[in-house]
Amino acid sequence: MRTGRGARGHWALALAVGLLGGCSGMKPYPNSLEPNLQIRTETKSGSVFSGVRAAVGIHRVDERCQIEYLGTVDLDKPTVAVGIPADRASYLVFDFASSSFLGGTRSRITQETVLRPRPGYSYEIVASYKDDIYNVVIREVHPGTGASRAIELRRLSCRGAA
Amino acid sequence: MRNPATSLLAVATLLIAGCATQHPQNAEEFRRAVPGAFMAKTETFEVKRSFRDVAETFQRKAPECLNVRIRTTSQTTTSYQVIVTSYKPTVVATKERAELHVQQHHEKGVMKVTKEPEGGYYLLVVDAYPVDRNMTRVQWFGPSRGYDVLIRAVKGWASGENLGCPDLTKIG
Repeated sequence: MRTGRGARGHWALALAVGLLGGCSGMKPYPNSLEPNLQIRTETKSGSVFSGVRAAVGIHRVDERCQIEYLGTVDLDKPTVAVGIPADRASYLVFDFASSSFLGGTRSRITQETVLRPRPGYSYEIVASYKDDIYNVVIREVHPGTGASRAIELRRLSCRGAA
Repeated sequence: MRNPATSLLAVATLLIAGCATQHPQNAEEFRRAVPGAFMAKTETFEVKRSFRDVAETFQRKAPECLNVRIRTTSQTTTSYQVIVTSYKPTVVATKERAELHVQQHHEKGVMKVTKEPEGGYYLLVVDAYPVDRNMTRVQWFGPSRGYDVLIRAVKGWASGENLGCPDLTKIG
């Protein structure tokens, strides 16, 4: 479910400032594996009175297609390196949260995909949110040649996701 | 407090429906209703892209971006309203025309005043026609206000210049 919210009052402004300030309250992803994802983030809210914050939630997907939330990585730098297990499926949830300072409104929208990284390969991901249009593009990079190919986003489906 | 987007939609759908007598029950009825309806419009433009590519992009992006449920809440000191809306995209492609239909169904929080077609009220219909090998004409029918992000996204898919998804929490 994708959510939007309109609210007024000081609490909403405080919450918006808190979210944009990094107090998302999400469990941080340990990110202890060798990085195989390079995530480039481009955000532009379209107004000086609003902001967009991006993050990616990382979930493990087991053979029975059950998911386990491992944590969230804030995409608060232009490029963030993340390591996820190779040769097994991970469920990535890109989350774009926008807040308006004047109206006290906030909303969030997500883009999900299942990714099973191949051992030795790296993945270049561009996560963008510009003027209310969002996109996640993934390219798989061959370790030897550096050649890359686009990877289609895949929704979590229990038939063959893992 | 009523969600402005919902209010706008309610007004637009009533106007498109011709004072609440009947809302268009299929895409063809919607095409016919839009040109004469207040707060609705149709626009035609051309893109330098093959018809096949445009149709393929509609088929790929519509399910990815528009098959979603959106939950919005509006809150004041005295009221709290939750609206859950599901969107249903349909793409019908032949050699002569590729159609993208977007339907909108309020699961919660909005009262229905006219008969709703299966899948939801028609919100947008986009038709693409081949002009020549590398040119496609696109015509859309939909609301004239409040849904700019949806129209921009579909234009981006047609031209191939922006394949992103519209943030449907921002409509209205």
